[in-house]
Order: sequence, then C-alpha cells, then structure tokens
Amino acid sequence: MSLIELKEVHKVYAGGDREVHALRGISLSVEEGEFLAMMGPSGSGKSTLLSVMGALNPPTKGEMLIDGIDVYGLDSERRADFRHEYIGFVFQQYQLIPYLTALENVMLPLAISSRKDKEQREMAQNVLEKVGLGTKSARLPHQLSGGEQNRVAIARAIVNQPPIVFADEPTGSLDTKTGEEILRLFQQLNRDGLTVIMVTHNKENLSWVKRAAFIRDGSLEKTESYASKLA
Amino acid sequence: MRLSDIALSNLKRRKLKASLLVLGIVIGVASIVGLYSITQAMQQDLANKIDEFGSNMLILPATDEVSFGGVTVQGAGTVRELQMSDIAKMKTIKNKETLAIIAPKLLAEEKINGKQAMLVGVQFRQELKLKKWWKVDWLGGKKIMPGGEQVLVGSDAARVLGLRPGAKVNIKGKQLTVAGVIKATGSTENDSAIFLDLTTLQQVTNHPGAISLIEAAAWCYTCPIERVTAQLQQKLPYTKVQALKASTQSRDDTVRKFSVFSFAVSIVIGLIGAMVVMMSMMSSVKERTRDIGVLRATGFRKTHVITIVLIEAGILSLVGGIIGYAIGMGAASLFGSAIAQLPITVSWNLIVALAAIGGAAVIGLIASAYPAWRAARLDPVEALRYI
Repeated sequence: MSLIELKEVHKVYAGGDREVHALRGISLSVEEGEFLAMMGPSGSGKSTLLSVMGALNPPTKGEMLIDGIDVYGLDSERRADFRHEYIGFVFQQYQLIPYLTALENVMLPLAISSRKDKEQREMAQNVLEKVGLGTKSARLPHQLSGGEQNRVAIARAIVNQPPIVFADEPTGSLDTKTGEEILRLFQQLNRDGLTVIMVTHNKENLSWVKRAAFIRDGSLEKTESYASKLA
Repeated sequence: MRLSDIALSNLKRRKLKASLLVLGIVIGVASIVGLYSITQAMQQDLANKIDEFGSNMLILPATDEVSFGGVTVQGAGTVRELQMSDIAKMKTIKNKETLAIIAPKLLAEEKINGKQAMLVGVQFRQELKLKKWWKVDWLGGKKIMPGGEQVLVGSDAARVLGLRPGAKVNIKGKQLTVAGVIKATGSTENDSAIFLDLTTLQQVTNHPGAISLIEAAAWCYTCPIERVTAQLQQKLPYTKVQALKASTQSRDDTVRKFSVFSFAVSIVIGLIGAMVVMMSMMSSVKERTRDIGVLRATGFRKTHVITIVLIEAGILSLVGGIIGYAIGMGAASLFGSAIAQLPITVSWNLIVALAAIGGAAVIGLIASAYPAWRAARLDPVEALRYI
C-alpha cells in the first residue's frame, strides 16, 4: 500500500463569475521513504496539489488516502489532529513566528502534545542540533539568515517525528550554496526514513530527489525517477 | 511550551498595543468602580440623612386605647402594655444592625394645675436623637440632657399650664423641674405633651417596666423597611409593627434614581470597553493571520486557536481590571466628595473588587469571542496565501 494515494483529484476555485480549474484529475502514488519533487511552471497547480496532499485543502472531486486513511473524510478538528501526527510543513518564506525564538518555533507542534516542557525543550534542542543550529536556539527569526530560518522551519516540521514532510519551494529564496545545504539536509532526513515531497521550479534540484512529478495546467504530465546525487 | 506561553509571547511582542488595550480597560473599569463607589457612598449618606429626620417605624400593642400622634395606643393603667424586655427582643432580629434608634414611650394622662395634660415618659438620650428638629428653650440657655427629676414641656402645654424653664411641676406627688420648653413644632403630640424620664413615669404611675409604644428609626438603605418590620412583628407577635411609608418611599425613590443613573452609565462604559477590546483583538487576529495559518497547518485545532486568543484577552482584561479597580477606588476616595458635593466616605470592598476584576475579565472574554472565532475559522491555505 502506498503511503499517499491520489485518485482523480480535481480542485476548482470559484473566482468571481468564472471557475479556475487548478487540478484536473490527478492520480499519483507516493511510497514510504520517497523524496519526490513536484515540478512545474508558475501557476501549474503544484502548490495547490501540495496543499491538497498536505490535508489542508479539500479537493473538489476525487479521493486522497494517506496511510490508508481517507483524510478528507475526517472532520476539520480530526484532520488537524491527523496533520499533527502525520505531516510536517516547510513553507515558502519559512513562516516562522516572529516573536518566538528558534527553539520556541521548533517547540510549536509540541505545545499541543501532552509532553512536559522539559521534554519538549530537549526534543526541540536535539532537532536544532541535527539541522546545525544548536548554538542559535535562543535567537529570534530576524536574527537568523535565510538559510538558518529555513533550517529552523525544517526542524519545526520534523520535531514531532511525522512520516511525511512537505516543502514548498524550500530553496526559492536562497543562494546556490545555501540551497544545496538545505537539499542535502532533506536528503539526509529522507535517508533516515522520512518521506519528503518538495515543490520546486528549479530543474537543478532534481539531482537531489528520487522521483519527480511534472505538473502542467493542473494535470500530471509525467513522472521520472532518478538516481539522486550523493550527499 | 503551552498555549498560554504562545499567548504571553505574543503579548510581549505587542507591548504598545497591549498596553493601550489595558489602558482602555483601566479607564473603563476605573470609571465604573469610581462611579459605583461614589454612588454607594452618596446613597449611604442620603440614607443616613433621611433617617435623621425621625422614626420610620412604630410598635404598638395589638389593642389601642390612647391617642398619640394620630395613632390610638394603649395607655398606662389599662389591660395590655409593652415591656422594657421587648426592646431587648428587638435587638435580636436578623437585620438588627439597621435599628439605629429605639425610643420607648409610656403615655399617661394626668391633671396638672387643674388641667388635663398628656405625660410622655421617654429615654431622653434616644428621644433627642430621634427628634433632631426640636428647638428647646433650655434652662440656663444651654442644652442639657434632662435627668429623672426634670421635664421638657411642649409649647402649648407650657402656655396652658403656665410653665417656663426652671418652673416646678407636680406630677403624682413628685416635684419635677422644667429643664426646657420645646418651641412649637406644629404637631399636637409634641406641643401639648410633657416629656419626662421613662423610669420616673413608670414609678409614679406604678407601672414599672411598662411601655405604651416604641418609635424606632432604621437605616434601611441595605434592606427594605418591610423586611425589618416583618422581622420585628415575628419577634413581637402581640404588637402591631407599622412602617411609616411616606418616609421610606421618598428615600427609596431617591436611592433608586441614583442606582438607575449609575447602572445606565456603567452599561454604556461597559459596552464601550467591550467594543475597544473587540476591535483590538480583531486587529490582533488580522495581524497574525499567517501565524494562525502556521498553527492550523501544524495541527492546532480550532479550539487551540480560540484558547490562545482568549488567554490573551483574559490576561489583558484581568490586568486592566486590577489596575482599574485600584485607580477607580483611589480616585473615588480622593475626589468623591468634590464630585458628589457631599462629605462622603468611600469604603474598600472585596466584593466590589472581585466584581470589577471578574467583570472586566468576563467582558474581555465575551468581546474576544468573535475575534477568536474568526481566528479559528481562518482557512490555513488562505492564511498562508498558499495558492
């Protein structure tokens, strides 16, 4: 059984007096332990697909299963619980909470768990060390570089040990060297067993992933598998 | 990390806005507390003043025979009498603290200088407290507290019997001195009576411990006069306890007007305060749309988001309530007399404190319910401008 299974997924937005067909019958399977890139030009629907796969955006038509669970069959609150357990997000522009330190940002997903504060801090600190920011845990987001903020966002996405991480253009605003460091980090996490699904429009990033799904005009054009670059 | 930590962190970040919101709550709570405290003090002052005008209760034997002040009561020497022990019983009622003055009287008729006169035995200390409006032409020109050998004579009685301050009057063989003549009051029972010490009259009429009626004054701003009269009636079932409606009615009306005014102004201030809190929390939620989107995407439930917003509002409202109460009471104490144009005393009250602080918190939470609900309903995709 695939970890993620999309069956004929459509997403239509009502935009004033006309409808926008963002996704047109996408069917896609993602196996556990994959590092998948979703490629496509701007406006192709890849971010919409990411939000649908991330249990954030119900499809207009079609079905999506994660670990065999019909995610959109769950009510809104149980879907939130599901996201908490199964999914980590690395957003465009990282979306760190500006008034929380790096450590506190990483602790966010743990705030709604039953873990004690001390345990939460230890977990968050360990993950920050894993992403190479162990010494900068007390800094606020604006005191960190773009690459460092990205690493905090990755740490926040994995601190709760979800099986899947979605990353939306994680290297989009980074220089080449920093972007490669981030991709190397994703690759390392993938090797540790994490399923990583990344939206990107940069073809150079494909050398880091195991497979790519090409989206155009809301449709899945093709998928390609690669022997990814060694870290 | 707990939800409260997230709320506190946000408040720390928005220090200026949080301070302004607290200031708004402080002004609202201080105004309400100040107004309430001043009004309460004014009500108490008013009640005290009204009570000074005289009795508002009359306790009579169940069967009446002698007329006093338009009321027919039992006279000494007839079948039924009240007793001094009844005064002790009066002091055992539940609202006994409201009984400010208890003035027992024994009434008797006697021929003096060949003319019929009404004798009223009183406890002068209580009677003079009750009859503050009496103007007395005192023996020696200075107010004294008449004793057992002295009498006060009403203006009509003095004229008819030819009595002046210092004159001697023989009552049932006892020689008493006129300590003063009460100037005309306009009421027959005062003007035509001779007031002497209660114990003396009881002795000379051979009715030790007997009382014909009791006048009482109750400070009733804390409870209705009807409740006090009912309690007295229960303790003294063989009597008839009457409330003098005119006095209480006018006082109640005045007090009610103050209360309504105070209540109306408080409601307006409360509504304005609630709107300030709501607008501020709406603005806070709007500013944090993306943050809320992140929380929702990370797995925070709607209830978690609502909790965070309400914790923020609750903290601000509580702080505002505490500071507002302190400032309101301080201002009422300092400026209350000037505002009310009366020498009032504002008392610190735990219940008012709890009501002010709790009220501020409740209004803050209610006013934040809509912004919190809006925050929880944010679509995480829209919030993150994901598409």
